[in-house]
Amino acid sequence: MTRTLDITGLRCPMTWVRTKLELERMAPGEALDVQCPPGEALENVPRSAQEAGHEVRVEGTTVRIVRA
Amino acid sequence: MSGSSRRGFFRELAEAAAEAVREVQGAREEPEPQPQLSDADMDRYSRQLLLPEWSEAAQLALREASVLVVGAGALASPAAAYLAGAGVGRLGIVDSDVVEISNLPRQHLHFTPDAGQPKVESAAAKLRFLNPDVLVETYQVWLDDGNAAALVEGNDLVVDCSDSFDTRYNVNAACCDAGVPLVEGGVVGWSGLVMAIRPGETACYRCAFPDPPAPGSVPTCAEAGVLGPAAGVIGSLQALEALKLLTGTGTPVVDAFLQVDLADHASVRVAVGRRPGCPGCGHPTL
Repeated sequence: MTRTLDITGLRCPMTWVRTKLELERMAPGEALDVQCPPGEALENVPRSAQEAGHEVRVEGTTVRIVRA
Repeated sequence: MSGSSRRGFFRELAEAAAEAVREVQGAREEPEPQPQLSDADMDRYSRQLLLPEWSEAAQLALREASVLVVGAGALASPAAAYLAGAGVGRLGIVDSDVVEISNLPRQHLHFTPDAGQPKVESAAAKLRFLNPDVLVETYQVWLDDGNAAALVEGNDLVVDCSDSFDTRYNVNAACCDAGVPLVEGGVVGWSGLVMAIRPGETACYRCAFPDPPAPGSVPTCAEAGVLGPAAGVIGSLQALEALKLLTGTGTPVVDAFLQVDLADHASVRVAVGRRPGCPGCGHPTL
């Protein structure tokens, strides 16, 4: 089952901070669907997640991250 | 750690109260929810939470920690401020002195109107302002071999920001006896040193410096002077080492000390092993 996280109300850098904390609370292999606000976050969140070693796919305004 | 540790003091109190209520109500035992950071905490600590090496677990570990800062002067000003800012749960400050105008160039927890006030009260007021979530406790005493053990007890870490060799050896002894990690630091003129100590595991201050210097051989800051930023660097390094020890992040300077000369930026890392027969940490003789 995929967890979801709504960060549409947040501004960078809280977008990645909140996502990072949610990922820390998950087990390796679990998936997280992050609902992003349009703009900066749609670049920062996928990039930061990739740099952190997670698997990332962007579909519209949803960033699906599989926790490494 | 001693049974009377203040680690997680308020959380334990709240848990005990909740447990008592559950018993009275005859409620079913439910699994404890994992502690999490509030939105306000996430915002306040966001810049350190961004670090790959930092985590919610590290931040919560800080919140559960009790730290004693010995001194409220040039080293303690950056050290205590950074620890309070980073979210340490409880900070104790020990200093018997009052604020003097000559302190102000480098003791940034004190301002001009504070002259004449006890340094611990002046420092505590600023630290509470900086971070109201930190429990700041003041001890307007001179730490000596009579009270060191009681002051150290119940803390998860001690940061020695004093400017006295006697105090340094007393703090080292008390921390070694209690098994409480210690971050040593000292500065005079343009240079200083920092050392992280895990008693019973790594070299203690006395392993590195078995005997205090002969009286009069090493000048104090009042005699030789000290440059503000030099004290700022050393105190900041102490905060850094403290955060490493409290959260398990980074690589603390253990079994070594950093000798920092800020006149020409010549820094040396001097390796030190536990000394056999050390009277400070009780390492057995060979």
